[in-house]
Amino acid sequence: MKKCKQLTVEICVGTSCHLLGSEDLFESLKRLPRKIQDAVDIQGVNCLQSCGKGPNVRINGLILTDVTPEQLLRVIETNFYCEKESI
Amino acid sequence: MAQVTEVGKIRRRVLAEMARMTYEGTLQEKIDDILETVVTEQGPRYRCCVHKERAVLKERIKISLSQSLDLSLKEAAANALSGEIVGLPIVNVLPEACDRCPIDKFIVTDACRNCVAHHCINSCPKGAIMVVQDRAYIDKTKCVECGMCKRSCHYGAILEISRPCERACDVKAIHAGKDRKATIDETKCVSCGACRIACPFGAIVDRSMVVQVIERMKTDKVVAMLAPAFIGQFGVKLKTGQVIEAIKQLGFAEVYEASFGADIVAVEEANEFIETKDDRSFMTNSCCPAFADMVGKHLSALADRVSTTVSPMVATGKVIKRKDPEAVVVFIGPCIAKKGEGLRNKEFIDYVLTFEEVAAMMVGKRINAAEVTASEYTSMASRDGNSFAKAGGVMQAVLDTVQMTAPEVVVKAHHAEGLGNCKIALLQMKAGKIDANFFEGMACEGGCVGGPATLTDVRVTSKFVENYAATSVAKVAPENEPAMDERKKVVDFHQHHA
Repeated sequence: MKKCKQLTVEICVGTSCHLLGSEDLFESLKRLPRKIQDAVDIQGVNCLQSCGKGPNVRINGLILTDVTPEQLLRVIETNFYCEKESI
Repeated sequence: MAQVTEVGKIRRRVLAEMARMTYEGTLQEKIDDILETVVTEQGPRYRCCVHKERAVLKERIKISLSQSLDLSLKEAAANALSGEIVGLPIVNVLPEACDRCPIDKFIVTDACRNCVAHHCINSCPKGAIMVVQDRAYIDKTKCVECGMCKRSCHYGAILEISRPCERACDVKAIHAGKDRKATIDETKCVSCGACRIACPFGAIVDRSMVVQVIERMKTDKVVAMLAPAFIGQFGVKLKTGQVIEAIKQLGFAEVYEASFGADIVAVEEANEFIETKDDRSFMTNSCCPAFADMVGKHLSALADRVSTTVSPMVATGKVIKRKDPEAVVVFIGPCIAKKGEGLRNKEFIDYVLTFEEVAAMMVGKRINAAEVTASEYTSMASRDGNSFAKAGGVMQAVLDTVQMTAPEVVVKAHHAEGLGNCKIALLQMKAGKIDANFFEGMACEGGCVGGPATLTDVRVTSKFVENYAATSVAKVAPENEPAMDERKKVVDFHQHHA
């Protein structure tokens, strides 16, 4: 079995981020390949303390601001990897 | 609202900044700062330079203050703070922002093979097409933009291009003026907001009364009235009780649901239908202002088919003002056209805001609805009243009410969404091609949940509204006793035309 790194993606759903499009970020995650979707733990959080610069996302502890759907997908894909299959 | 684009983000940031300054009492002094905070030196840049960006922003702010473009920002702020609202149209073109989209309506693309048949040349009634450098060429001085060439080309090599605003407008109210800038013909415009959504340059702005409302809340008792489409708008994870609390924290003394008035409207329209069904071949709803306006301005022969019953907004306004004539009533909805309807019903509606504007007010007052403690809340309306928010809902409410009060009456209902579709359906009904005696017209796809100032996807909120409606104790309008009580007290829920 391949082991894939678990990624935690927290998307802010606070009013400021909602107004600036965090809903679109949730929607965009559906475009990820199945195997990545399975390894990504998506959570909505109430605030990431960066209001006004949204939509904000925290990936494995790192806060990203003014994230577009395209950027989010790219960040997830570059942070995602699976261990080589052992023989 | 489909996706939040850069245009949408700028608009929302401006509104939030204006709201913040008004709440903090610094708008007059600091309004020019918005130019720096929303458009920073570092960018992002969408136009040629920071100066152009700020020139556009200035116009955007003035319209958002409901002030004339001739004023300075400080003058505009002072006027807005004193409650003034200048007589602007509801939907405006920002002259600085309009890109004057240079458009040749028909262009020949690389797909042209310079074929032997030359259908394009043969089809052109004006002899405007010739072959230049191995390809068809349209002589603009002769072209009358009839489109015959496009239809005749077997390669589909001729492209028809139109301005996004023009294409979006189902009532043909927006077109390029002499200087190629978009202009809106007020005699045709129904303020639906389709052009605002369509313009990729953000050049179309609806006027706003955010500042005026915030100022008013500092001195008067201001009551909020939420359109039935509010469910899910301020965040899909929010509880209804959180939304209500967050709205109160903005400074609203009480929160009403317009669906309360919708129950009254359902009964009034059902009665009106029963009383007048023999006098007219069909009756339509009146609650969608863009739709009703379209009938008035573009299909005036059918104006008498529109119900005289007022909209749920006005009905609820009447109820609130009966209870407390001093209350300042603010309608909050997904709709731009309601801003115009509010002006026409000043007696009952003091201000109209959108969900977008109210969410921006929350941001400005640093209220995060997601962190607000929810209060217990149950809807003031029946299932049918709440369903006014989505397409087909009004029709269903009237059907159910007639079924309950006069089961022998036959209602054959039909409905359409989108102004273009509504127009076609109405003409077909007039011609007797659709067998129906009640028609529900909605200017927006999906009904109000698909409105231009919504914050959440229409498919998502449509489902949310359905779930919320299912929690109502009363199922059909006549079962909503408090509403029926008010209906007796207010007496008149009809518009009387001179």
